[in-house]
Amino acid sequence: MTVADTIKIPGRRSFARGIHPDDKKTLCSGSPAEILPTPQSVLIPLSQHIGAPCKAAVKPRTDVAVGDVVGDSEAFVSAPVHASVAGTTAAATVVTLPNGQHVGAIPITTAEEQPLTGRALWDDIYGGDWSIDAIDSFEPKRIAEAVRAAGLVGMGGATFPTHVKLARNPDKPIDTLLINGCECEPYLTSDHRLMLEAPKAIIAGAILAARAAGAERIIIAIEDNKPDAIEKMQSAAGGTGVDVVGVHTLYPMGGEKQLIVAVMAREVPTGGLPLDVGVVVVNVATAAAVARAVMREKPLTHRIISVTGEGIATPKNILAPVGASYADLIEFCGGLTDQASRVISGGPMMGFTLGDLETPVTKGTSGVVVLTEAQTRKADETACVRCGRCVEVCPLGLVPTRIALAARNNDWEMARRYYITACCECGCCAYVCPAEIPLVQLIRAGKAGMPRD
Amino acid sequence: MVPTIILAVCVMLALASVFAVLLGWANVRWHVDVPEKLQQLTDAMPGVNCGGCGFIGCNEYAEAVFHDGAPPDKCPVGGSAVAERIAEIMGIEHTAGAPLRPVVLCGADFDARLKRAEYRGEPTCAAAVMVAGIQGCTYGCLGLGDCVVVCKFDAIHIVNGLAVVDYEKCVGCGACVRACPRNIIQMVPFHADAMTVVACSNLDPGKVVRGVCTVGCIGCGICAKLDDIFTIADNNASIDYDRYQADTDLSAAIEKCPRKIIRVARASRP
Repeated sequence: MTVADTIKIPGRRSFARGIHPDDKKTLCSGSPAEILPTPQSVLIPLSQHIGAPCKAAVKPRTDVAVGDVVGDSEAFVSAPVHASVAGTTAAATVVTLPNGQHVGAIPITTAEEQPLTGRALWDDIYGGDWSIDAIDSFEPKRIAEAVRAAGLVGMGGATFPTHVKLARNPDKPIDTLLINGCECEPYLTSDHRLMLEAPKAIIAGAILAARAAGAERIIIAIEDNKPDAIEKMQSAAGGTGVDVVGVHTLYPMGGEKQLIVAVMAREVPTGGLPLDVGVVVVNVATAAAVARAVMREKPLTHRIISVTGEGIATPKNILAPVGASYADLIEFCGGLTDQASRVISGGPMMGFTLGDLETPVTKGTSGVVVLTEAQTRKADETACVRCGRCVEVCPLGLVPTRIALAARNNDWEMARRYYITACCECGCCAYVCPAEIPLVQLIRAGKAGMPRD
Repeated sequence: MVPTIILAVCVMLALASVFAVLLGWANVRWHVDVPEKLQQLTDAMPGVNCGGCGFIGCNEYAEAVFHDGAPPDKCPVGGSAVAERIAEIMGIEHTAGAPLRPVVLCGADFDARLKRAEYRGEPTCAAAVMVAGIQGCTYGCLGLGDCVVVCKFDAIHIVNGLAVVDYEKCVGCGACVRACPRNIIQMVPFHADAMTVVACSNLDPGKVVRGVCTVGCIGCGICAKLDDIFTIADNNASIDYDRYQADTDLSAAIEKCPRKIIRVARASRP
């Protein structure tokens, strides 16, 4: 095992149940991040986060520079959006994001002259000096403000505004900051590459986030199928007081409730938040963005996206501007193969199938997975045979079949009795169901459709 | 020896007489007094228990009228005939209004919708509404028929991917309105047999609508210029039904609409 095992953590590095899908990470874990050539135009959605959508802050036919605010909101649970390229705005339009949100969006036609392209862009974002010598000079309040101004949201996919997580709450003190480098979704390697290529930025961001939240201990958790990332992060963390631990490779280890059990041996109560057990969980990409937001005062405009799967010609990890279309990314990877059948935004377990490749990528897009016809073929649904496999794998200890079938039959009393709202939609149950019942979809639809009490 | 069959018949007859006497006695012994008016009200109800009145069933509504003075015109199935009968029993005034009937505010069938993609999930609108990209339009009919399932009168059907109301059968209970997750079915007072409807709910700018639908409203405002009963809000035209009269003629707007989305819903009056 790794050196990480010598570090004392309370958890057993694992959680109960869960599944072991074929992780398929080798498709692109070995490809260093490449920089996407600036696309002809980008489309910046005005809501790329959970919370209040932004209002447009720029008029049509205005010249904008990289990092200019194009949308902002007065609400606390919200995050501004910024121009990711230099160019000229066009009239506001609307776009349907892969998760079904129908939101306003600002198109920007790219200018011919971009201040930074290629390797210089990478160096500006993740390269250069991330020295933590002067880190004590950043006041916690200032860190949270800089994080808000930079429009940071959870980049693991949930897109919860980061400054809300880092805001101190006197009633619920935080003792530990967990940096989530698990990347448990099959196929995706964007966080893996970031840990290999910009470990210092992650460490600096972790320390800053911990200062803001008031956490004394910082633990970076990485699944043990990425030994090279664990090693790299350990050497980067040397002497900073940040612990790096390897946790077992088990889906959904990257879910915050599961990770807190595995590392801290604390259980987040049903309906509660990690805050309730004194923990804040931040994704590695978000941590790196915190460092950039605070130390370089630059907003979140670019991110690393894995474009992978058997249906893509050359799988790659790409540093892309927010607002570039999925089609731009796929074209950069040599296009789709003949067998390609489905394009998924995010990972195959929790991602959303795309209907339109012209959709823009957002701050929360960690990957694009293209699956083949053979992989997505689906047998007809049959009746539940009460085999209990879904119960055996549910990381939250729920009874998915009961909840899903209650939701299908609008039996809300039953659904509530079996804690429908506790479901994290990780997809383990639907993955193992031999009857091909769309358990997660039924539960999701049930959560949205059930009467509020 | 008496044949067994005769014996059996005699035994059954004897048992029947015993139970008849018992039941007759019980009926008198535990008789519940139902006020005559309530009994009349219950008899006046159509008895289909559709829930369109907002009460659980016909009996509940009858009791609500009798005890709590609920208005007489709530029964969509019986329409004005039942309302008049209820008013007569209760001795109250009743003035007949136009019957409410649902109209589907989407005029695009499968062929008119653009950017459609295959959907393999749970075949209900409530589940599909959460999935992006089934079709370009995020406002229009999904065509999976949640409204068809809840209709107790077989009065709404999916025709080439679009919900179509059968006004011959529709009683206006409003179940389809509540079932539609996209909220595109609206109850409209049918002042005339043929009501004009703007059959589109899309609130996006015209350019976007053109990209997702061949018939969707682009908010051009031509109809509003022809007749001020039309209003344009959020890039979508709508009709002010409070001002709609039986003799309102909107054929000019129907003809001039560049997207041919102002249509006529033809009902038969109950």
